[in-house]
Amino acid sequence: MIFNSKSRWLLVAAAALGSAAHAQQPAGPAATVLAVPPFATPADKPTSGGSTYGIGWEASKLIAKDLATTSEIMPVPPSQKDFYSYPEVTAPSFFKWRSLHTKMLLTGFVEARSDGRLTFGCYVYDVDKGREVARKGFVVDPSDWQRAAHKCSGLAYTAVTGAPGIFDTRITYVAEIGSGPTKIERIAIMDSDGGNQRYLTAGATMVLTPRLSPKASRVAFVSYAAGKPQVRLLDVASGNQRPLIENDAISFAPRFSPDGSRIAFSMMTGPNSDIYIASAEGGAARRLTTSPAVDTDPSFSPDGSKIVFESDRSGSQQIYVMNADGTAQRRISFGGAAYAAPEWSPDGNWIVFTRRDPGGRRIGIMKPDGTGERLLTNGPTDEGASWAASSRELVFQRTDPLGRSGLYRLSLDGAEPRNIVLPQGASDPDWSGAMD
Amino acid sequence: MRRLILISAFAVLASSASAQLPGLRKREPAPPVLQGIDALRADFLAKTGANTVYFGLGTSMLGAPARATLAVQAQWIRQHPEVLVRIEGHGEPNDTRDHALAMGARRAQEVRDYLVLLGVPAAQLSTTSFGKEQPGPPRAVTVLVR
Repeated sequence: MIFNSKSRWLLVAAAALGSAAHAQQPAGPAATVLAVPPFATPADKPTSGGSTYGIGWEASKLIAKDLATTSEIMPVPPSQKDFYSYPEVTAPSFFKWRSLHTKMLLTGFVEARSDGRLTFGCYVYDVDKGREVARKGFVVDPSDWQRAAHKCSGLAYTAVTGAPGIFDTRITYVAEIGSGPTKIERIAIMDSDGGNQRYLTAGATMVLTPRLSPKASRVAFVSYAAGKPQVRLLDVASGNQRPLIENDAISFAPRFSPDGSRIAFSMMTGPNSDIYIASAEGGAARRLTTSPAVDTDPSFSPDGSKIVFESDRSGSQQIYVMNADGTAQRRISFGGAAYAAPEWSPDGNWIVFTRRDPGGRRIGIMKPDGTGERLLTNGPTDEGASWAASSRELVFQRTDPLGRSGLYRLSLDGAEPRNIVLPQGASDPDWSGAMD
Repeated sequence: MRRLILISAFAVLASSASAQLPGLRKREPAPPVLQGIDALRADFLAKTGANTVYFGLGTSMLGAPARATLAVQAQWIRQHPEVLVRIEGHGEPNDTRDHALAMGARRAQEVRDYLVLLGVPAAQLSTTSFGKEQPGPPRAVTVLVR
Protein backbone atom coordinates (compact mmCIF):
# COMPACT_ATOMS: atom_id res chain seq x y z
CA MET A 1 0.00 0.00 0.00
CA ILE A 2 1.50 3.32 -1.08
CA PHE A 3 -0.81 5.56 0.96
CA ASN A 4 -1.15 5.41 4.68
CA SER A 5 -4.70 5.20 5.94
CA LYS A 6 -5.00 8.93 6.55
CA SER A 7 -3.89 10.03 3.08
CA ARG A 8 -6.11 7.29 1.63
CA TRP A 9 -9.10 8.72 3.48
CA LEU A 10 -8.30 12.22 2.24
CA LEU A 11 -8.10 10.90 -1.31
CA VAL A 12 -11.49 9.26 -1.03
CA ALA A 13 -12.90 12.44 0.50
CA ALA A 14 -11.54 14.33 -2.50
CA ALA A 15 -13.14 11.78 -4.81
CA ALA A 16 -16.42 12.23 -2.95
CA LEU A 17 -16.10 16.01 -3.41
CA GLY A 18 -15.46 15.52 -7.11
CA SER A 19 -18.49 13.33 -7.60
CA ALA A 20 -20.64 15.80 -5.66
CA ALA A 21 -19.62 18.47 -8.17
CA HIS A 22 -20.73 16.20 -11.02
CA ALA A 23 -23.78 14.75 -9.38
CA GLN A 24 -24.99 12.93 -12.50
CA GLN A 25 -21.86 10.81 -12.81
CA PRO A 26 -22.07 7.24 -11.60
CA ALA A 27 -20.25 6.57 -8.33
CA GLY A 28 -16.64 5.54 -8.81
CA PRO A 29 -15.05 2.42 -7.37
CA ALA A 30 -14.01 4.34 -4.25
CA ALA A 31 -15.21 3.06 -0.90
CA THR A 32 -18.22 4.61 0.84
CA VAL A 33 -17.18 7.05 3.56
CA LEU A 34 -19.04 6.20 6.76
CA ALA A 35 -18.64 8.19 9.98
CA VAL A 36 -18.63 6.38 13.33
CA PRO A 37 -18.83 9.11 16.00
CA PRO A 38 -18.62 7.86 19.63
CA PHE A 39 -21.73 6.12 20.97
CA ALA A 40 -23.97 7.99 23.40
CA THR A 41 -25.41 6.75 26.69
CA PRO A 42 -28.64 7.93 28.34
CA ALA A 43 -26.86 7.92 31.72
CA ASP A 44 -23.25 7.02 32.47
CA LYS A 45 -23.52 4.01 34.79
CA PRO A 46 -20.89 1.55 36.01
CA THR A 47 -21.30 -2.08 34.84
CA SER A 48 -19.19 -5.21 35.23
CA GLY A 49 -17.67 -4.41 31.80
CA GLY A 50 -16.83 -0.75 32.63
CA SER A 51 -18.92 2.42 32.48
CA THR A 52 -21.53 2.67 29.73
CA TYR A 53 -19.77 5.80 28.52
CA GLY A 54 -16.43 3.94 28.29
CA ILE A 55 -18.00 0.90 26.57
CA GLY A 56 -19.65 3.22 24.03
CA TRP A 57 -16.31 4.84 23.22
CA GLU A 58 -14.53 1.48 22.86
CA ALA A 59 -17.41 -0.02 20.84
CA SER A 60 -17.35 2.80 18.27
CA LYS A 61 -13.57 2.40 17.97
CA LEU A 62 -14.00 -1.35 17.40
CA ILE A 63 -16.71 -0.77 14.77
CA ALA A 64 -14.43 1.63 12.86
CA LYS A 65 -11.63 -0.97 13.07
CA ASP A 66 -13.99 -3.70 11.76
CA LEU A 67 -15.14 -1.60 8.83
CA ALA A 68 -11.57 -0.58 7.96
CA THR A 69 -10.86 -4.25 7.12
CA THR A 70 -13.37 -4.11 4.24
CA SER A 71 -12.69 -2.81 0.75
CA GLU A 72 -16.18 -1.28 0.43
CA ILE A 73 -16.31 1.05 3.44
CA MET A 74 -13.90 3.80 4.52
CA PRO A 75 -14.79 4.49 8.15
CA VAL A 76 -14.17 7.84 9.87
CA PRO A 77 -13.10 6.70 13.36
CA PRO A 78 -14.64 8.25 16.50
CA SER A 79 -13.24 11.56 17.69
CA GLN A 80 -13.78 13.35 21.02
CA LYS A 81 -15.12 16.42 19.21
CA ASP A 82 -17.98 14.43 17.67
CA PHE A 83 -19.85 13.39 20.84
CA TYR A 84 -23.59 13.76 20.58
CA SER A 85 -26.39 13.55 23.13
CA TYR A 86 -28.68 10.53 23.62
CA PRO A 87 -31.67 12.15 21.79
CA GLU A 88 -29.36 12.89 18.83
CA VAL A 89 -28.83 9.13 18.29
CA THR A 90 -32.10 9.09 16.34
CA ALA A 91 -31.94 12.73 15.23
CA PRO A 92 -28.39 13.29 13.97
CA SER A 93 -27.15 16.55 12.47
CA PHE A 94 -27.14 15.64 8.77
CA PHE A 95 -26.01 19.19 7.98
CA LYS A 96 -22.79 18.69 9.97
CA TRP A 97 -21.96 15.30 8.38
CA ARG A 98 -22.83 16.56 4.90
CA SER A 99 -20.37 19.41 5.37
CA LEU A 100 -17.71 16.81 6.30
CA HIS A 101 -18.43 14.88 3.06
CA THR A 102 -19.46 11.62 4.67
CA LYS A 103 -21.96 9.55 2.74
CA MET A 104 -23.16 7.41 5.61
CA LEU A 105 -23.39 7.72 9.38
CA LEU A 106 -23.56 5.14 12.17
CA THR A 107 -24.89 6.30 15.54
CA GLY A 108 -25.73 4.28 18.62
CA PHE A 109 -26.08 4.10 22.36
CA VAL A 110 -25.18 1.85 25.29
CA GLU A 111 -27.65 1.63 28.16
CA ALA A 112 -27.28 -0.24 31.46
CA ARG A 113 -30.33 -2.39 32.21
CA SER A 114 -31.70 -3.13 35.67
CA ASP A 115 -30.82 -6.85 35.18
CA GLY A 116 -27.09 -6.04 34.87
CA ARG A 117 -27.00 -6.47 31.10
CA LEU A 118 -26.56 -3.87 28.37
CA THR A 119 -28.82 -2.63 25.60
CA PHE A 120 -26.99 -1.70 22.41
CA GLY A 121 -28.80 0.39 19.79
CA CYS A 122 -27.32 0.92 16.31
CA TYR A 123 -28.66 3.22 13.59
CA VAL A 124 -27.36 3.66 10.04
CA TYR A 125 -28.19 6.82 8.09
CA ASP A 126 -27.81 7.93 4.48
CA VAL A 127 -26.41 11.43 5.05
CA ASP A 128 -27.19 12.80 1.58
CA LYS A 129 -30.83 11.74 1.75
CA GLY A 130 -31.11 12.54 5.47
CA ARG A 131 -32.79 9.18 6.04
CA GLU A 132 -32.41 6.18 8.32
CA VAL A 133 -31.57 3.02 6.31
CA ALA A 134 -31.18 0.39 9.06
CA ARG A 135 -31.45 -0.07 12.81
CA LYS A 136 -30.96 -2.92 15.22
CA GLY A 137 -30.91 -3.46 18.98
CA PHE A 138 -29.03 -6.08 21.00
CA VAL A 139 -29.15 -7.09 24.67
CA VAL A 140 -25.83 -8.58 25.83
CA ASP A 141 -23.84 -9.29 28.98
CA PRO A 142 -21.35 -6.49 29.67
CA SER A 143 -18.50 -8.95 28.96
CA ASP A 144 -19.96 -9.54 25.46
CA TRP A 145 -19.97 -5.90 24.33
CA GLN A 146 -17.49 -6.70 21.51
CA ARG A 147 -20.01 -9.10 19.95
CA ALA A 148 -22.67 -6.36 20.01
CA ALA A 149 -20.19 -3.95 18.39
CA HIS A 150 -19.37 -6.56 15.70
CA LYS A 151 -23.10 -6.88 15.00
CA CYS A 152 -23.36 -3.07 14.59
CA SER A 153 -20.45 -3.30 12.12
CA GLY A 154 -22.38 -5.99 10.25
CA LEU A 155 -25.51 -3.80 10.16
CA ALA A 156 -23.51 -0.96 8.55
CA TYR A 157 -21.77 -3.33 6.12
CA THR A 158 -25.07 -4.84 4.98
CA ALA A 159 -26.64 -1.37 4.64
CA VAL A 160 -23.83 -0.29 2.30
CA THR A 161 -23.16 -3.50 0.32
CA GLY A 162 -26.30 -5.61 0.63
CA ALA A 163 -24.06 -8.54 1.71
CA PRO A 164 -24.05 -10.13 5.19
CA GLY A 165 -21.43 -8.77 7.58
CA ILE A 166 -18.67 -11.12 8.69
CA PHE A 167 -17.45 -9.31 11.83
CA ASP A 168 -19.27 -11.65 14.22
CA THR A 169 -18.24 -14.92 12.51
CA ARG A 170 -15.90 -17.77 13.47
CA ILE A 171 -13.08 -19.58 11.71
CA THR A 172 -12.12 -23.12 12.66
CA TYR A 173 -8.77 -24.63 11.67
CA VAL A 174 -6.14 -27.19 12.65
CA ALA A 175 -3.60 -25.66 15.06
CA GLU A 176 -0.15 -27.21 14.53
CA ILE A 177 2.79 -27.21 16.93
CA GLY A 178 6.09 -28.78 15.86
CA SER A 179 6.58 -30.89 12.74
CA GLY A 180 7.21 -34.46 11.68
CA PRO A 181 6.23 -37.39 13.90
CA THR A 182 6.14 -35.19 17.04
CA LYS A 183 3.69 -32.71 15.54
CA ILE A 184 0.72 -31.91 17.79
CA GLU A 185 -2.55 -31.06 16.06
CA ARG A 186 -5.66 -29.62 17.67
CA ILE A 187 -8.97 -28.34 16.34
CA ALA A 188 -9.08 -24.60 17.08
CA ILE A 189 -11.84 -21.99 16.74
CA MET A 190 -11.48 -18.21 16.79
CA ASP A 191 -13.23 -14.97 15.83
CA SER A 192 -12.66 -14.01 12.19
CA ASP A 193 -10.19 -11.27 13.24
CA GLY A 194 -7.99 -13.82 15.03
CA GLY A 195 -9.25 -13.04 18.56
CA ASN A 196 -10.75 -15.44 21.14
CA GLN A 197 -8.59 -18.50 20.32
CA ARG A 198 -10.00 -21.73 21.75
CA TYR A 199 -8.87 -25.34 21.35
CA LEU A 200 -11.57 -28.00 21.00
CA THR A 201 -9.46 -31.18 21.03
CA ALA A 202 -6.58 -32.11 23.33
CA GLY A 203 -3.94 -32.96 20.73
CA ALA A 204 -3.54 -36.66 21.57
CA THR A 205 -4.78 -37.78 18.13
CA MET A 206 -4.13 -36.46 14.64
CA VAL A 207 -6.98 -34.34 13.24
CA LEU A 208 -7.79 -32.86 9.81
CA THR A 209 -10.29 -30.62 7.99
CA PRO A 210 -12.67 -29.21 10.63
CA ARG A 211 -15.91 -27.82 9.09
CA LEU A 212 -18.37 -25.63 10.99
CA SER A 213 -22.12 -26.06 11.07
CA PRO A 214 -23.88 -22.92 9.76
CA LYS A 215 -24.14 -21.27 13.21
CA ALA A 216 -20.77 -22.60 14.38
CA SER A 217 -22.32 -24.74 17.13
CA ARG A 218 -20.83 -27.99 15.80
CA VAL A 219 -17.68 -29.07 13.98
CA ALA A 220 -17.44 -32.06 11.63
CA PHE A 221 -13.81 -33.16 11.32
CA VAL A 222 -11.50 -36.07 10.52
CA SER A 223 -9.93 -37.88 13.47
CA TYR A 224 -7.37 -40.68 13.70
CA ALA A 225 -8.77 -41.78 17.08
CA ALA A 226 -9.48 -45.23 15.58
CA GLY A 227 -6.09 -45.40 13.82
CA LYS A 228 -7.55 -44.42 10.47
CA PRO A 229 -9.17 -41.22 9.17
CA GLN A 230 -12.87 -41.13 10.13
CA VAL A 231 -15.42 -38.31 10.26
CA ARG A 232 -16.46 -37.29 13.77
CA LEU A 233 -18.83 -34.63 15.10
CA LEU A 234 -17.90 -32.29 17.92
CA ASP A 235 -20.17 -30.03 19.98
CA VAL A 236 -18.40 -26.65 20.34
CA ALA A 237 -19.96 -25.73 23.69
CA SER A 238 -19.45 -29.06 25.52
CA GLY A 239 -16.51 -30.54 23.58
CA ASN A 240 -18.37 -33.89 23.30
CA GLN A 241 -17.53 -36.03 20.26
CA ARG A 242 -19.04 -38.97 18.42
CA PRO A 243 -18.42 -40.75 15.11
CA LEU A 244 -20.69 -39.66 12.25
CA ILE A 245 -21.11 -43.23 10.97
CA GLU A 246 -20.70 -46.32 13.15
CA ASN A 247 -18.54 -48.44 10.86
CA ASP A 248 -14.96 -49.40 10.16
CA ALA A 249 -14.47 -47.57 6.85
CA ILE A 250 -12.11 -44.70 6.10
CA SER A 251 -14.16 -41.48 5.76
CA PHE A 252 -13.15 -37.83 5.26
CA ALA A 253 -13.95 -34.46 3.63
CA PRO A 254 -17.16 -33.71 5.62
CA ARG A 255 -19.31 -30.65 4.97
CA PHE A 256 -22.63 -29.52 6.46
CA SER A 257 -25.70 -28.74 4.36
CA PRO A 258 -26.74 -25.05 4.53
CA ASP A 259 -29.49 -25.86 7.10
CA GLY A 260 -27.07 -27.94 9.19
CA SER A 261 -29.26 -31.06 9.07
CA ARG A 262 -27.14 -33.20 6.71
CA ILE A 263 -23.46 -33.90 6.12
CA ALA A 264 -21.92 -34.84 2.77
CA PHE A 265 -18.56 -36.63 2.92
CA SER A 266 -16.26 -39.17 1.25
CA MET A 267 -16.06 -42.82 2.27
CA MET A 268 -13.83 -45.63 1.01
CA THR A 269 -15.25 -48.99 -0.04
CA GLY A 270 -12.26 -51.06 -1.10
CA PRO A 271 -10.11 -48.87 -3.35
CA ASN A 272 -13.08 -46.66 -4.24
CA SER A 273 -13.72 -43.20 -2.73
CA ASP A 274 -17.33 -42.09 -3.24
CA ILE A 275 -19.52 -39.28 -1.94
CA TYR A 276 -22.16 -40.13 0.65
CA ILE A 277 -24.76 -38.14 2.54
CA ALA A 278 -25.98 -38.73 6.10
CA SER A 279 -28.14 -37.02 8.69
CA ALA A 280 -26.08 -34.93 11.15
CA GLU A 281 -28.08 -36.69 13.90
CA GLY A 282 -26.71 -40.10 12.92
CA GLY A 283 -28.09 -43.08 11.02
CA ALA A 284 -27.21 -44.73 7.75
CA ALA A 285 -25.34 -43.04 4.92
CA ARG A 286 -26.68 -42.87 1.38
CA ARG A 287 -24.29 -43.21 -1.55
CA LEU A 288 -24.43 -40.42 -4.17
CA THR A 289 -21.60 -41.31 -6.59
CA THR A 290 -20.55 -44.70 -7.93
CA SER A 291 -17.58 -43.90 -10.16
CA PRO A 292 -14.52 -46.12 -9.56
CA ALA A 293 -12.43 -42.92 -9.43
CA VAL A 294 -11.67 -40.70 -6.42
CA ASP A 295 -14.80 -38.60 -5.76
CA THR A 296 -14.34 -36.21 -2.83
CA ASP A 297 -14.69 -32.68 -1.37
CA PRO A 298 -18.49 -32.24 -1.69
CA SER A 299 -19.96 -28.78 -0.97
CA PHE A 300 -23.65 -27.80 -1.06
CA SER A 301 -25.21 -24.96 -3.05
CA PRO A 302 -26.75 -22.35 -0.69
CA ASP A 303 -30.29 -23.70 -1.29
CA GLY A 304 -29.11 -27.26 -0.56
CA SER A 305 -30.40 -28.60 -3.88
CA LYS A 306 -27.02 -29.21 -5.55
CA ILE A 307 -23.56 -30.44 -4.61
CA VAL A 308 -20.27 -29.39 -6.21
CA PHE A 309 -17.47 -31.96 -5.83
CA GLU A 310 -14.12 -33.10 -7.15
CA SER A 311 -13.48 -36.28 -9.15
CA ASP A 312 -10.51 -37.70 -11.06
CA ARG A 313 -12.77 -39.91 -13.22
CA SER A 314 -11.53 -38.12 -16.36
CA GLY A 315 -7.92 -38.95 -15.48
CA SER A 316 -7.19 -35.76 -13.56
CA GLN A 317 -8.92 -33.92 -10.70
CA GLN A 318 -11.82 -31.86 -12.09
CA ILE A 319 -14.88 -30.14 -10.65
CA TYR A 320 -18.39 -31.57 -11.11
CA VAL A 321 -21.89 -30.46 -10.12
CA MET A 322 -24.78 -32.83 -9.31
CA ASN A 323 -28.20 -32.70 -7.71
CA ALA A 324 -28.14 -33.37 -3.96
CA ASP A 325 -29.61 -36.85 -4.63
CA GLY A 326 -26.66 -37.79 -6.88
CA THR A 327 -28.43 -37.37 -10.24
CA ALA A 328 -27.34 -35.20 -13.21
CA GLN A 329 -23.57 -35.28 -12.61
CA ARG A 330 -21.66 -33.10 -15.03
CA ARG A 331 -18.16 -31.67 -15.27
CA ILE A 332 -17.78 -27.86 -15.16
CA SER A 333 -13.97 -27.28 -15.13
CA PHE A 334 -12.18 -27.36 -18.49
CA GLY A 335 -9.21 -25.03 -17.94
CA GLY A 336 -6.39 -27.38 -18.91
CA ALA A 337 -5.16 -28.05 -15.37
CA ALA A 338 -6.30 -30.04 -12.33
CA TYR A 339 -9.05 -28.46 -10.21
CA ALA A 340 -9.69 -29.52 -6.63
CA ALA A 341 -11.37 -28.70 -3.31
CA PRO A 342 -14.40 -26.72 -4.56
CA GLU A 343 -16.64 -24.72 -2.20
CA TRP A 344 -19.89 -23.02 -3.25
CA SER A 345 -20.19 -19.33 -2.22
CA PRO A 346 -23.02 -18.45 0.23
CA ASP A 347 -24.62 -16.13 -2.38
CA GLY A 348 -24.56 -18.97 -4.92
CA ASN A 349 -22.68 -17.02 -7.59
CA TRP A 350 -19.19 -18.55 -7.38
CA ILE A 351 -17.27 -21.73 -6.76
CA VAL A 352 -13.81 -21.35 -5.23
CA PHE A 353 -11.24 -24.03 -6.08
CA THR A 354 -7.58 -25.00 -5.79
CA ARG A 355 -5.99 -25.16 -9.25
CA ARG A 356 -3.05 -27.58 -9.62
CA ASP A 357 -0.59 -27.26 -12.46
CA PRO A 358 3.22 -27.58 -12.79
CA GLY A 359 3.49 -24.06 -11.31
CA GLY A 360 1.96 -25.22 -8.02
CA ARG A 361 -1.36 -24.76 -6.24
CA ARG A 362 -3.34 -21.55 -6.55
CA ILE A 363 -6.78 -20.32 -5.40
CA GLY A 364 -9.33 -19.25 -8.01
CA ILE A 365 -13.05 -18.86 -8.62
CA MET A 366 -15.46 -19.80 -11.40
CA LYS A 367 -19.20 -19.55 -11.88
CA PRO A 368 -21.30 -22.66 -11.16
CA ASP A 369 -21.58 -23.27 -14.93
CA GLY A 370 -17.78 -23.30 -15.23
CA THR A 371 -17.42 -19.92 -16.96
CA GLY A 372 -15.68 -16.80 -15.67
CA GLU A 373 -12.59 -18.54 -14.24
CA ARG A 374 -10.33 -16.12 -12.35
CA LEU A 375 -7.18 -16.93 -10.37
CA LEU A 376 -6.87 -14.98 -7.11
CA THR A 377 -3.46 -16.03 -5.72
CA ASN A 378 -0.01 -16.68 -7.17
CA GLY A 379 0.66 -19.84 -5.14
CA PRO A 380 2.63 -22.03 -5.27
CA THR A 381 1.45 -23.74 -2.06
CA ASP A 382 -2.09 -22.38 -1.54
CA GLU A 383 -5.12 -24.57 -0.89
CA GLY A 384 -8.25 -25.21 1.13
CA ALA A 385 -10.13 -21.96 0.47
CA SER A 386 -13.37 -21.28 2.38
CA TRP A 387 -15.91 -18.49 1.84
CA ALA A 388 -16.87 -15.76 4.30
CA ALA A 389 -20.62 -15.26 4.79
CA SER A 390 -20.38 -12.09 2.67
CA SER A 391 -19.25 -14.09 -0.42
CA ARG A 392 -16.72 -11.25 -0.92
CA GLU A 393 -13.84 -12.71 1.07
CA LEU A 394 -12.06 -16.04 1.52
CA VAL A 395 -9.72 -17.68 3.99
CA PHE A 396 -7.12 -20.18 2.73
CA GLN A 397 -3.96 -22.03 3.76
CA ARG A 398 -0.46 -21.22 2.47
CA THR A 399 2.70 -23.21 3.29
CA ASP A 400 6.07 -21.44 3.43
CA PRO A 401 9.29 -22.94 2.00
CA LEU A 402 10.17 -24.39 5.42
CA GLY A 403 6.92 -26.35 5.49
CA ARG A 404 5.14 -24.15 8.04
CA SER A 405 1.56 -23.37 7.12
CA GLY A 406 -0.51 -20.33 8.03
CA LEU A 407 -3.92 -18.79 7.25
CA TYR A 408 -4.58 -15.88 4.92
CA ARG A 409 -7.62 -13.70 4.22
CA LEU A 410 -8.28 -12.78 0.63
CA SER A 411 -10.88 -10.40 -0.82
CA LEU A 412 -12.25 -10.75 -4.33
CA ASP A 413 -11.26 -7.17 -5.22
CA GLY A 414 -7.75 -8.33 -6.11
CA ALA A 415 -5.78 -7.07 -3.11
CA GLU A 416 -2.83 -9.08 -1.74
CA PRO A 417 -3.78 -11.84 0.72
CA ARG A 418 -3.35 -10.82 4.38
CA ASN A 419 -1.84 -13.19 6.94
CA ILE A 420 -3.94 -13.87 10.05
CA VAL A 421 -1.47 -13.66 12.94
CA LEU A 422 -1.85 -16.81 15.07
CA PRO A 423 -0.04 -18.22 18.09
CA GLN A 424 1.09 -21.31 16.13
CA GLY A 425 1.02 -22.98 12.70
CA ALA A 426 -2.40 -23.43 11.10
CA SER A 427 -4.02 -25.39 8.27
CA ASP A 428 -7.44 -26.42 6.90
CA PRO A 429 -9.45 -23.24 7.67
CA ASP A 430 -13.26 -23.14 7.48
CA TRP A 431 -15.29 -19.92 7.85
CA SER A 432 -18.72 -19.96 9.52
CA GLY A 433 -21.92 -18.40 8.19
CA ALA A 434 -23.45 -15.26 9.71
CA MET A 435 -24.14 -15.84 13.40
CA ASP A 436 -27.43 -14.03 14.17
CA MET B 1 52.26 -55.83 9.24
CA ARG B 2 50.27 -52.68 8.50
CA ARG B 3 47.22 -54.35 10.03
CA LEU B 4 49.11 -55.09 13.15
CA ILE B 5 50.11 -51.45 13.48
CA LEU B 6 46.50 -50.37 13.06
CA ILE B 7 45.32 -52.78 15.70
CA SER B 8 47.97 -51.65 18.15
CA ALA B 9 47.06 -48.04 17.41
CA PHE B 10 43.46 -48.83 18.39
CA ALA B 11 44.72 -50.57 21.51
CA VAL B 12 46.66 -47.43 22.47
CA LEU B 13 43.62 -45.26 21.85
CA ALA B 14 41.47 -47.57 23.92
CA SER B 15 43.92 -47.70 26.77
CA SER B 16 44.29 -43.91 26.79
CA ALA B 17 40.52 -43.58 27.04
CA SER B 18 40.30 -46.04 29.91
CA ALA B 19 43.27 -44.38 31.59
CA GLN B 20 41.06 -41.39 32.31
CA LEU B 21 38.57 -43.60 34.09
CA PRO B 22 40.57 -45.73 36.53
CA GLY B 23 38.72 -48.72 37.85
CA LEU B 24 36.36 -48.89 34.87
CA ARG B 25 36.98 -51.34 32.05
CA LYS B 26 35.88 -50.03 28.70
CA ARG B 27 33.24 -52.31 27.28
CA GLU B 28 31.14 -52.32 24.12
CA PRO B 29 27.45 -51.74 24.92
CA ALA B 30 25.61 -55.01 24.52
CA PRO B 31 23.00 -54.99 21.73
CA PRO B 32 19.52 -54.74 23.24
CA VAL B 33 17.63 -57.98 23.41
CA LEU B 34 14.52 -57.43 21.31
CA GLN B 35 11.34 -58.94 22.59
CA GLY B 36 7.77 -59.22 21.43
CA ILE B 37 6.70 -56.92 18.61
CA ASP B 38 10.14 -55.26 18.35
CA ALA B 39 11.80 -58.62 17.73
CA LEU B 40 9.12 -59.52 15.17
CA ARG B 41 9.59 -56.19 13.39
CA ALA B 42 13.35 -56.67 13.24
CA ASP B 43 12.88 -60.20 11.93
CA PHE B 44 10.29 -59.01 9.38
CA LEU B 45 12.69 -56.34 8.07
CA ALA B 46 15.65 -58.74 8.00
CA LYS B 47 13.74 -61.47 6.14
CA THR B 48 11.74 -59.32 3.71
CA GLY B 49 14.32 -56.60 3.07
CA ALA B 50 11.77 -53.77 2.95
CA ASN B 51 8.60 -52.72 4.74
CA THR B 52 7.82 -50.07 2.08
CA VAL B 53 6.66 -50.31 -1.53
CA TYR B 54 6.64 -47.29 -3.84
CA PHE B 55 4.15 -46.08 -6.46
CA GLY B 56 4.29 -43.79 -9.47
CA LEU B 57 2.83 -40.28 -9.22
CA GLY B 58 -0.96 -40.27 -9.35
CA THR B 59 -1.32 -44.05 -9.51
CA SER B 60 -2.02 -46.93 -7.14
CA MET B 61 -0.84 -49.64 -9.57
CA LEU B 62 1.70 -52.09 -8.15
CA GLY B 63 4.90 -52.33 -10.19
CA ALA B 64 7.11 -55.42 -10.52
CA PRO B 65 9.51 -54.42 -7.69
CA ALA B 66 6.55 -53.76 -5.36
CA ARG B 67 5.02 -57.15 -6.21
CA ALA B 68 8.33 -58.89 -5.52
CA THR B 69 8.62 -57.18 -2.13
CA LEU B 70 5.01 -58.02 -1.26
CA ALA B 71 5.50 -61.67 -2.23
CA VAL B 72 8.23 -61.98 0.41
CA GLN B 73 6.15 -60.01 2.92
CA ALA B 74 3.17 -62.31 2.31
CA GLN B 75 5.30 -65.37 2.96
CA TRP B 76 6.51 -63.96 6.29
CA ILE B 77 3.05 -62.84 7.41
CA ARG B 78 1.58 -66.28 6.56
CA GLN B 79 4.21 -67.85 8.78
CA HIS B 80 3.20 -65.54 11.64
CA PRO B 81 -0.58 -65.90 11.91
CA GLU B 82 -0.48 -64.36 15.40
CA VAL B 83 0.69 -61.00 14.01
CA LEU B 84 -1.68 -58.18 13.06
CA VAL B 85 -0.54 -55.92 10.22
CA ARG B 86 -1.55 -52.38 9.27
CA ILE B 87 -0.90 -51.06 5.76
CA GLU B 88 -0.28 -47.29 5.83
CA GLY B 89 -0.83 -45.55 2.49
CA HIS B 90 0.67 -42.18 1.60
CA GLY B 91 -0.23 -39.57 -1.03
CA GLU B 92 1.91 -36.93 -2.68
CA PRO B 93 3.03 -33.73 -0.91
CA ASN B 94 1.96 -31.57 -3.87
CA ASP B 95 -1.57 -32.98 -3.91
CA THR B 96 -4.56 -31.34 -2.21
CA ARG B 97 -5.52 -32.57 1.27
CA ASP B 98 -8.47 -34.86 0.55
CA HIS B 99 -7.34 -36.25 -2.81
CA ALA B 100 -4.05 -37.22 -1.14
CA LEU B 101 -6.02 -38.97 1.62
CA ALA B 102 -8.00 -40.94 -0.97
CA MET B 103 -4.86 -41.85 -2.95
CA GLY B 104 -3.11 -43.04 0.23
CA ALA B 105 -6.16 -45.14 1.14
CA ARG B 106 -6.25 -46.56 -2.37
CA ARG B 107 -2.55 -47.54 -2.30
CA ALA B 108 -2.98 -49.20 1.09
CA GLN B 109 -5.98 -51.11 -0.28
CA GLU B 110 -4.04 -52.29 -3.36
CA VAL B 111 -1.28 -53.66 -1.11
CA ARG B 112 -3.83 -55.32 1.17
CA ASP B 113 -5.67 -56.91 -1.76
CA TYR B 114 -2.40 -58.22 -3.23
CA LEU B 115 -1.35 -59.75 0.10
CA VAL B 116 -4.78 -61.44 0.34
CA LEU B 117 -4.33 -62.71 -3.22
CA LEU B 118 -1.05 -64.28 -2.05
CA GLY B 119 -2.83 -66.14 0.72
CA VAL B 120 -2.60 -63.81 3.72
CA PRO B 121 -5.82 -64.08 5.77
CA ALA B 122 -7.75 -60.80 5.47
CA ALA B 123 -8.39 -60.84 9.23
CA GLN B 124 -4.69 -60.18 9.82
CA LEU B 125 -4.74 -57.00 7.71
CA SER B 126 -6.09 -53.47 8.16
CA THR B 127 -5.50 -50.29 6.16
CA THR B 128 -5.17 -46.59 6.88
CA SER B 129 -4.12 -43.47 4.98
CA PHE B 130 -1.95 -40.57 6.05
CA GLY B 131 -2.61 -38.58 2.87
CA LYS B 132 0.15 -35.99 2.61
CA GLU B 133 0.66 -35.64 6.37
CA GLN B 134 4.01 -37.44 6.38
CA PRO B 135 6.09 -36.05 3.49
CA GLY B 136 7.85 -38.44 1.15
CA PRO B 137 7.28 -40.28 -2.12
CA PRO B 138 3.94 -42.03 -2.82
CA ARG B 139 4.21 -45.31 -0.93
CA ALA B 140 2.63 -47.91 1.30
CA VAL B 141 4.30 -49.08 4.49
CA THR B 142 3.60 -52.46 6.10
CA VAL B 143 3.56 -51.99 9.87
CA LEU B 144 3.33 -54.87 12.34
CA VAL B 145 0.87 -53.82 15.02
CA ARG B 146 1.03 -56.80 17.42
